[in-house]
Amino acid sequence: MNLMTLQRYKNEIILLLALLFALFSFMFKLSSNTYVKENKAKIQTQISEITAIGNYKNQWDGKGIPNKIKVLKSIVPKSKVKTFQKKSKKLLASYVNLSSNELNKLNNKLINMPVQITNLQIKESAKNQFTMELTCKW
Amino acid sequence: MEPIVLENSVDIILTPQFYTFLREDLDLKFAYQAKQIAPSLFDDYLNNNDEYQYYVYKCKEAWCFFAYNIKEIDLFLESIGIEKHRVSKIYFAQQISEQLENPVLLNDTTVLQNIDDTVTLIPKRLMDPNIEYPELDMKNVKLKGGVSMGESLNSFISLKETIILSSLFFMLGSVFILEGNRIKSSIANEDARLSELLDENPKYGSTLLRNSILEKYKPIDTIERKKRETIKEISKLLSAKSQLKKLSVNEKSVRAEILTLDTTINKQVKEHANAKNFKVSGSGQNVKVEKKL
Repeated sequence: MNLMTLQRYKNEIILLLALLFALFSFMFKLSSNTYVKENKAKIQTQISEITAIGNYKNQWDGKGIPNKIKVLKSIVPKSKVKTFQKKSKKLLASYVNLSSNELNKLNNKLINMPVQITNLQIKESAKNQFTMELTCKW
Repeated sequence: MEPIVLENSVDIILTPQFYTFLREDLDLKFAYQAKQIAPSLFDDYLNNNDEYQYYVYKCKEAWCFFAYNIKEIDLFLESIGIEKHRVSKIYFAQQISEQLENPVLLNDTTVLQNIDDTVTLIPKRLMDPNIEYPELDMKNVKLKGGVSMGESLNSFISLKETIILSSLFFMLGSVFILEGNRIKSSIANEDARLSELLDENPKYGSTLLRNSILEKYKPIDTIERKKRETIKEISKLLSAKSQLKKLSVNEKSVRAEILTLDTTINKQVKEHANAKNFKVSGSGQNVKVEKKL
């Protein structure tokens, strides 16, 4: 293609280039749209999964529980703690003669502690007195 | 000819040595039809080795055809120092035939004159030595038509159309690019957040690992939350007149036995328990509630 031919069709070439530019831009827009459609939900799911993992791990990975769990022993008088055995990542505890108030405090502490309650038995042993058996792990 | 220096655009009028002119009485309605047949009309008059462009307009009852070689004109303009982009329109001397009824002196040797309705170049030596040559007054001449340099190169699209359409396409393209970028950037924040999270914990990039961790913790979280929620719901059933006798929590269910002091309280406790979706049973003053986990 010589220079004269190029010059002859200069207008057409300019127009063709502009048209191609518009077409490629349109394709770019379409591909952006597809990219966003495909990836937005995927990215959001990944974010929510990673965030959830972080939250679950903070909540349930049991870090610091051996120390925190001591409060379940100290919150009631020693005489009422029948057994309090920590083995590995497990606690076996039993209490006797707990008043309603003590039972409430103990329960509140327990349910606010990130441990897995595997067994909890509370029975009224006498009027306004309770026994409690607890097994939990972390 | 002395070189010309131009600061503004000019129109030029070609003298007959730069074009071949034919006047034909043809039964045609439109100029584009005339232009289509123009090359065949000039077959016998033009050198086949050169490339010609054509211009046609209706002159009175006939069609006026012009064939010209833009390359030749281009070279001439270049030789006298006129840049191509300075030339707005090209006209043909034939278009000012009425102004050339009297001979006009082009240079020392050549005269331009309309002879039998055809503008012609005449050697000065053939003219009457006593004749006076008036100056060509272009002030009152209105030139119509003409061709632009772009059109003269046989472009199918005029320069004006090219500029308008190209600008439109360019604007459209720019809008598409802006829109595309805007769409892409709409997930930039999420993307950045994900990258940040993955930088902190690269191992979570694996879907398998994430699923395995979630499978481990999700049931624990759900069940433990439900246990605690159920214990809180049971504690709300208790009052001075409804006392806890027994509470049992294990991996599958939460059960409680509540002693009520009168039938009204008994009824109320049962209603509240039912409202909280407990399985309610019990006889007399005892109310047993149970919820599966």
